[in-house]
Amino acid sequence: MIQTIIINGMSFSLPLFIMAIGGIYSERSGVTNLALEGLQGFGAFVGALAGYIAGMHFGADSRVPQAVALLFAILGGMAYSLLHALLCIHFRADMVISGVVVNILAMALTTFLTKSINRTVFGAASNKIDLGVLPRITVPGLSKIPVIGAFFTNVYPFEAVIIVIAVFVWYLLYRTSFGLHLRAAGDNPAALDAAGVDVSRIRYLAVMMSGALSGLAGICFAYSISAKFSGDIYVGYGYLSIAALIFGGWKIMPTLGACMIFGFARSAGYQIVQKLGLPSSYSDLVMILPYVLTLLLLVFLAKNSQAPKALGEAYDKSKR
Amino acid sequence: MEDHIIEMRNITKRFPGIVALDGVTVQIRKGEIYAILGENGAGKSTLMSILFGMVEPDEGEIYIRGRKERISSPNYATELNIGMVHQHFKLVSNYTVTENIILGREPKHRLLGVFPAVDMKKAEAEVAELSRRYGLEVDPKAVISGVNVSARQRVEILKMLYREAEILIFDEPTAVLTPQEIEALLEIIRMLRDGGKTIILITHKLEEIRQVADRCAILRRGRLIGVREVASTDAEEMANLMVGREVSFHTEKKKAEFGKTVLQVKGLTVLNEDKFPVVKGVSFAIRSGEIFAIAGVSGNGQVEIAHAIAGLMKESEGDILLNGESLLSKDVRERIEAGIAYIPEDRQEMGLILDFKLKDDLALKKYYRHPFAERKILKHKTFEEYGSKLIDRYDIRCANSTETLVRAMSGGNQQKAIVGREIEQDASLTIFVQPTRGLDIGAIERIHAQIVEERDRGRAVLLISLELDEIMDLADTIAVIYNGEIGKIAPAEEFTTQEVGAYMMGIGKGQEGGKHEKAQ
Amino acid sequence: MKKRNETVLVAVIAVILGLLAGAVMMLILKKNPLSAYYNLLQGSGLAPKGKYAGGKSMFSDFSSYIDFLTPMLFAALAVAVALKAGLFNIGISGQMLTGAFLATVLVGYGNLPAVLAKPLVILIAAAGGGVVGIIIGFLKSRFNISEVVSSIMLNYIASYIISFFINTRYVDPVSRQSKEIGQASRLTLHQVLVGGFRYDFALGFILAIIAILIVRFIFDRTVLGYELKAVGANREAARYAGIRVNRSILLSMGLSGLLGGLAGATYFLGYTASIQPKVLPSTGFDAIAVCLVGGSSPVGIFFASFFLEIIEKGSTYMSSQAGLEAEIASVIMGLILLTSACSSFILAKVSRRRVEGRGSK
Repeated sequence: MIQTIIINGMSFSLPLFIMAIGGIYSERSGVTNLALEGLQGFGAFVGALAGYIAGMHFGADSRVPQAVALLFAILGGMAYSLLHALLCIHFRADMVISGVVVNILAMALTTFLTKSINRTVFGAASNKIDLGVLPRITVPGLSKIPVIGAFFTNVYPFEAVIIVIAVFVWYLLYRTSFGLHLRAAGDNPAALDAAGVDVSRIRYLAVMMSGALSGLAGICFAYSISAKFSGDIYVGYGYLSIAALIFGGWKIMPTLGACMIFGFARSAGYQIVQKLGLPSSYSDLVMILPYVLTLLLLVFLAKNSQAPKALGEAYDKSKR
Repeated sequence: MEDHIIEMRNITKRFPGIVALDGVTVQIRKGEIYAILGENGAGKSTLMSILFGMVEPDEGEIYIRGRKERISSPNYATELNIGMVHQHFKLVSNYTVTENIILGREPKHRLLGVFPAVDMKKAEAEVAELSRRYGLEVDPKAVISGVNVSARQRVEILKMLYREAEILIFDEPTAVLTPQEIEALLEIIRMLRDGGKTIILITHKLEEIRQVADRCAILRRGRLIGVREVASTDAEEMANLMVGREVSFHTEKKKAEFGKTVLQVKGLTVLNEDKFPVVKGVSFAIRSGEIFAIAGVSGNGQVEIAHAIAGLMKESEGDILLNGESLLSKDVRERIEAGIAYIPEDRQEMGLILDFKLKDDLALKKYYRHPFAERKILKHKTFEEYGSKLIDRYDIRCANSTETLVRAMSGGNQQKAIVGREIEQDASLTIFVQPTRGLDIGAIERIHAQIVEERDRGRAVLLISLELDEIMDLADTIAVIYNGEIGKIAPAEEFTTQEVGAYMMGIGKGQEGGKHEKAQ
Repeated sequence: MKKRNETVLVAVIAVILGLLAGAVMMLILKKNPLSAYYNLLQGSGLAPKGKYAGGKSMFSDFSSYIDFLTPMLFAALAVAVALKAGLFNIGISGQMLTGAFLATVLVGYGNLPAVLAKPLVILIAAAGGGVVGIIIGFLKSRFNISEVVSSIMLNYIASYIISFFINTRYVDPVSRQSKEIGQASRLTLHQVLVGGFRYDFALGFILAIIAILIVRFIFDRTVLGYELKAVGANREAARYAGIRVNRSILLSMGLSGLLGGLAGATYFLGYTASIQPKVLPSTGFDAIAVCLVGGSSPVGIFFASFFLEIIEKGSTYMSSQAGLEAEIASVIMGLILLTSACSSFILAKVSRRRVEGRGSK
């Protein structure tokens, strides 16, 4: 049972984590990002569509469609995030409103496009895109270690991809010039500007990064939760990852901890419903666990949050 | 023709509705300290923003080292070896001194021989070396939010030197410093000049110009009024040129007549958001007819004292009594009604609601009671009449009378509105925090006169200011605050400016090397 | 009153841009946007259809449109009331569900007479929504939790809990929704036969008009309105003026939630008579667009919802006539929302330019 909790917990925590890192990038650069929800949904849609099309050209055993889906989810999320960047940075819209608007539009666009494309291109009336089941991997040797072995048992390949990417973006944020500039943009954009770095450019890149990482997260959720893309992708995981990053104080490592709490609470809840032999409608009650947990975490944390100083402020060059 | 490192010829810059610079020409020699003197709004900052590439002029030409240049960005200015210390420091608060200095020009190396990364070790060594060479003492690893204002300023200077600047622009560098820190800064400036740098000093303080500058250009309302050799000009002449009329350096006031005690603060301790004490066991009393001033360097707890009296911050210990009655259990509104008027430091963030109409802002503290409201219903006519009355009485200039959006008014008129509104409170205690910041001389004189009038009307006045001149000029009694504690309270005539400065840095008179070595 | 004209102008521009973008999408899909948009009008009873089923007419379509419009009036007012105090309530969907579910369970399945049941439904839904709003306000004022995050969380919590109860206790096995409520508790007089045609009479519509007038009065003429606006425009200054900011936040969120609850009542116990499990009503989100387009003024909201809801209401008819997915309505709404989020920037720019023109001495 513990093993199942860990296996299912990780496959939920890691996508949440990579999306939260996206949020950290955006918010550390000063752009409030409530759009994660829409970014992951749109990314998942583009990825699923590309994967589906690729699937028609490759055999059933091929891994290529899945790689294509991952790649296009990243690109799709990144492209769609430009909308949020444009609204926040160029049009100086209220960043909170922009995020919500971007989410609402993503939901509308992807459901509409899924239906339209299914009907006009694939000739079938359907509101989903099937992705097929992703095979799971068990690492020989490591998986035999008691308890910890569960972390290497029945893992989705995307979990490894996420970990590699997470290490890379950690390095990018904390060790490179780009990272130094990005974090400065969220604390004192005027200082960065005076140092000769283009604040808008940095913020655009940061938001695009959040789009890319959210898109990746979205396609992972689509694979692991339902093996298809549909409107069900919008169940608030984007907001959960925001809560996780607030809980993690806008830092990558503590945010991982928060994401794991969400993941394990959720999978433990399901296990308990199963063990108690409750009817499936009780899973609705388990579903509220992450949301309740989010509120509780925020109750204990939001008061002394270490939000980036310039978070949510459009940078106006003319006012320097 | 003389050898000029900088020539700005016939510079004109217009902003919507205003000519900020009108055909200004300045010529600066290599290796001199060139001061630019003018009131707020005279155009001195705009002129330097143009030189530093932040603003492009509408007309005019710039020559650097004899070559015509179009300075389109601060980056290009940096390439031309021009550096600038801005009035509001441009520092990232959660970065170290080193990270701030190298920002935008990071030394790099490769991690594991592959991944490009910032070479922080090398950067720290370079910063330490620069700091040694120019005698600008900083700790390369200290985080900015943990160091004091003068250290931050040294970081800003090092930032320019790290970028190999030869022409150094200082924008009002002494505004936030104590007299002693000012001395030290002026010494650094002299030393930089002697090392071959060219210095441009923007200021409105004549004293500094007399001390360090070689020459001085005087701007008024966007025009160059004249350039003077400092050695052969007296302060009076420069002041008159700057303002365009005779200025009196002192506010007229008659001898104070103190009445009964109005405000009593006993052992007041205030904690900030991080539960850290910012005001520590402070006690003082203010009588009616008295201007009681608190002097101190910014961020030493003086604003928190004002907030605590007004009820905006909670007292953790001690008591505050107004006319003998404790305020502790009272909320903000009850304190206002008990007789506290408050002109806050930040007029746009706290003193006014910028998106309100003037009539609504003028009623900000009375809107809910007779005659502004009856049974929770607003009486718009009263707002209208009251607004017009205050506009006349306090000479508030506004385009659409009571309907003007406050955001659309100039800073000086916004401050007039706040001062007017608070004086009309008819309170027994009026608190002024930084009442003249950013205002021009005319407005300053007017507000100083109003402060004295308040006193003469028998009210108690608490004046909190970072401008030592203002305090020396107006106060009947002075308290000096340092690090949340009041070092000395005494009648104004018993203090010298130097002595107040010493207490502001935590060094009492004649006890150098005492408890607090240095302002940290 | 230049400012009001500007707001109207910007709103009109936003809507036109949204419709244009929608038209471009239709052209890509090789559909005629003009006829599709005309279908929208027909579907809302604002233009005559080619033919009508028995007992139907343009006016009966229109009466059904008013019935559909009523919840939106409440929902958009709810957004506006929070927004005036600087709060962004995107939890209207959850407040609608909570209020409506409580009213359904407590009254809708009972057999009280209509004179008692109808007012009771309204009161319970208002109270239910109001409590959710107050929770959000409390989390904001006490713990500084972003109202956006907490209201989204509460949306899902409400949705899942209600879905759990519907599925375990109140489900209609055929429709898979909650069982239909009794006509006595329903706020719409459904399919009433008058002169040979059937009409839907939305009793809530009258209430919505009253609500618009009350909200307008509160903000223009009362001490409470002044305080909420002060808190919304500058929280620090409001505190400095002695306004109890936390109380104002609670009040505005409570009032907003209450209106959300009424939106829920008129939707789930008016327009429909049952609740679909696990679905958050899109009205709660579209209300943001309506509110922004309406310049968050009560009267503006009335006109904005009247025009914008045509898109949602007419979409089913358009879908059947033009062969376009009905979801394109949400896309167009989303695009209008997008442009109106930007156009507030344009408005700010217009007025800022004017400010600079005369501001600096």
